[in-house]
Amino acid sequence: MTGAVFAQKTGTVYGRGSDKIAINLASYRTGSDTASRTFLSVLKADLNRSGYFKVTSSGGVLNVAGSCVSGGGNMKAECQVYKVSTRQRILGKSYKTTTADARGLAHRVADEILFAATGKKGMASGKIALVSSRTGRKELYVCDMDGRNIRQITKDRSIVVGPGWSPDAKSIVYTSYKRGYPNVFLTGRGKPLSSHGGLNASGAISPDGKSMAVILSKDGNPELYIKSLRTGWLKRLTRTQRGNEASPCWSPDGNHIAYVSDTSGSPQIYIISRDGKDRKRLTSTGSENVAPDWGRNGYIVFSSRIGGRYRIAMANPVAKSLRVLETDWADYEDPSWAPDGRHIVCSRTASYRSSIYLLDTLKDSPVALLTGSVDWYSPACSP
Amino acid sequence: MNKKVYKFMFFAVLAASVTVISGCRSKPKAGMYGDDTGLYGGEILDGDIPLNDTMGLPTDGDRSMFAPVMFAYDSSQVNPEEAGKVEAVAKYLKKNRSGGVIVEGHGDERGSREYNLALGERRALAIRDYLINLGVDPGSIQTKSLGEEMPADMGHDEGAWRQNRRGVFAIY
Repeated sequence: MTGAVFAQKTGTVYGRGSDKIAINLASYRTGSDTASRTFLSVLKADLNRSGYFKVTSSGGVLNVAGSCVSGGGNMKAECQVYKVSTRQRILGKSYKTTTADARGLAHRVADEILFAATGKKGMASGKIALVSSRTGRKELYVCDMDGRNIRQITKDRSIVVGPGWSPDAKSIVYTSYKRGYPNVFLTGRGKPLSSHGGLNASGAISPDGKSMAVILSKDGNPELYIKSLRTGWLKRLTRTQRGNEASPCWSPDGNHIAYVSDTSGSPQIYIISRDGKDRKRLTSTGSENVAPDWGRNGYIVFSSRIGGRYRIAMANPVAKSLRVLETDWADYEDPSWAPDGRHIVCSRTASYRSSIYLLDTLKDSPVALLTGSVDWYSPACSP
Repeated sequence: MNKKVYKFMFFAVLAASVTVISGCRSKPKAGMYGDDTGLYGGEILDGDIPLNDTMGLPTDGDRSMFAPVMFAYDSSQVNPEEAGKVEAVAKYLKKNRSGGVIVEGHGDERGSREYNLALGERRALAIRDYLINLGVDPGSIQTKSLGEEMPADMGHDEGAWRQNRRGVFAIY
C-alpha cells in the first residue's frame, strides 16, 4: 500500500519485508586480520541495509562463496554468488585493494551483488556530503553511505551551507563565507564559482555539468539564475520583487529546475523550465514545502511542514502523486535521494540535536547513520 | 484573505510613517500602497538596485555602534517601530562618507537553512532600500545574509527567535 506509487520502479517481489532475498555468507572465509574481518562485516551490513537482502547463515536463496585475505597493507577478495536452487553462478570476481580501503571494497562488492541479483543500482558505494559544527565551526564533511569513514573536507573556520554534488560525484559545490561574503565554491577549486555582490547560494550543477542553478541577489532581490560554468554567462529565471527563491535542483534530463519560492505567502515548491518559461507550482498541501531533491527515479523528495513538524514527502510531477513518509514525532528535513533511488538520507532533529537518518520508501525502518553529541545536517548523497 | 488585508494595512501604516519621518523628501506616488511597486515609493525602490561587487571591500565592521533592527516571523518588512534605528545609521553614514555599512540579515532557526539564507538577504535588502531612500549612497552599503547560521540567542523558544530575526549594522 505505502509502496504503491513505486510499484513500477522498485516494487518487485524482492523489495518488501518478508520478500527479501535470503543470502547466505556462512561459507565465506576470511583471515583473522582486521581488514578482512572488517570487509565481511561491512559487506553483510550493506546487504542488509540495501533493503533487498536478508543475510542468513542457514539456507537462503543465494549463496556467497569465496575468501578475503590481507597482508603487507594489501588485501585480496574473491567473491562468487550462486543461486542455490539452480547452482547458477550470477557473480564471480576477484578484487585487490589496500587494507585501508577494506570498507570501500565491501561497499563495491555489496553493490555488485545487488546488481547481479536484481539488476538494480545499489547505494552502498555512494557518499554523503554534509555539514557539522563538531569543531565549533560549520565545516563540510564526507562520509560513506553507512555513516562511517567521516572525513573533514573544509578547514576554513567559516560557515558552510547547503552542499551538493557535481554530476560526476567527484566534487562538491557549497556556499561558504570564507571570503567574508556568501559565495559558491567547488571543492578542489580555489576561486569561487559565484561571487557577485550580495547573496550567492544554493549552487546546483546541471546533469550535463555545464551549468549551475544558483540563487543571487546581485540585482537587488534573491532570484533564481542559471550560470554557464564555461563562459560565466548568467540567465535570470525569476522576477519576484516580493519573494525569495531558494534551493534549486535539476530534473534528471536537465530541462527543468524545482525550487522554493514564497511568492504565494509561504515557501512552496515550483518547477520552471530552464529557459525560464513555463513555471508551475508543485505543492499545495502543507504549510510550507522546502528543500526539494529531484531523483533520477523521477520523484521530487522534499521537506513538508505538516501539523507543525517537518516530514519527508515525495511527489511525482508527471503522475501528480504525493506521498508523505511515515516518521516519528521528530523533524525530518533536507532529504536527498540515495543513489539506489529507493532510500532517502535526511536530517532528523529531536531535542534541538540534528542527526542523519536513512529512510526507506518501501518498507524498512529508518536507520540512524550519524548521531551523537554534535549536530550533523544538510546531507547530500552522491549521484 | 485576512492576512492580505492585514498586510495591506501594514504597508499603508509603514509607508505613511516613512513619508512623515523622511519629511516628504520623496513624494508618494499613486498606487504605492496596494500594488506591486516598491514599499517606499517609486520604481527606484522596487528591489532592483544592483548590488556592488564586494571584491576588495571590507568584510567586517563594528557592530556595537547601532542597535539591530528586529523583524517579525517570516517577514522582511522594516516595522515602523524599528525605523528609527535605520534612520540613525543613515544620519551617521551621510556624515561619514568615507565609510560604509555591511547590513547583516539573520533569521531564527525555524524553516530550511537555504530558505532562511534568502530571507536573511531580503531583510538586509529591505534595510538597504530604506537607507537608500533616506539618501545614503548605495555604493556604501553591502548586504550579507547569514540566514540562521549565527543566532544571537542560542535558545529555542519564541524569546530567542525574536532576538535572532534581525538586521545588524557592521560599520566600517
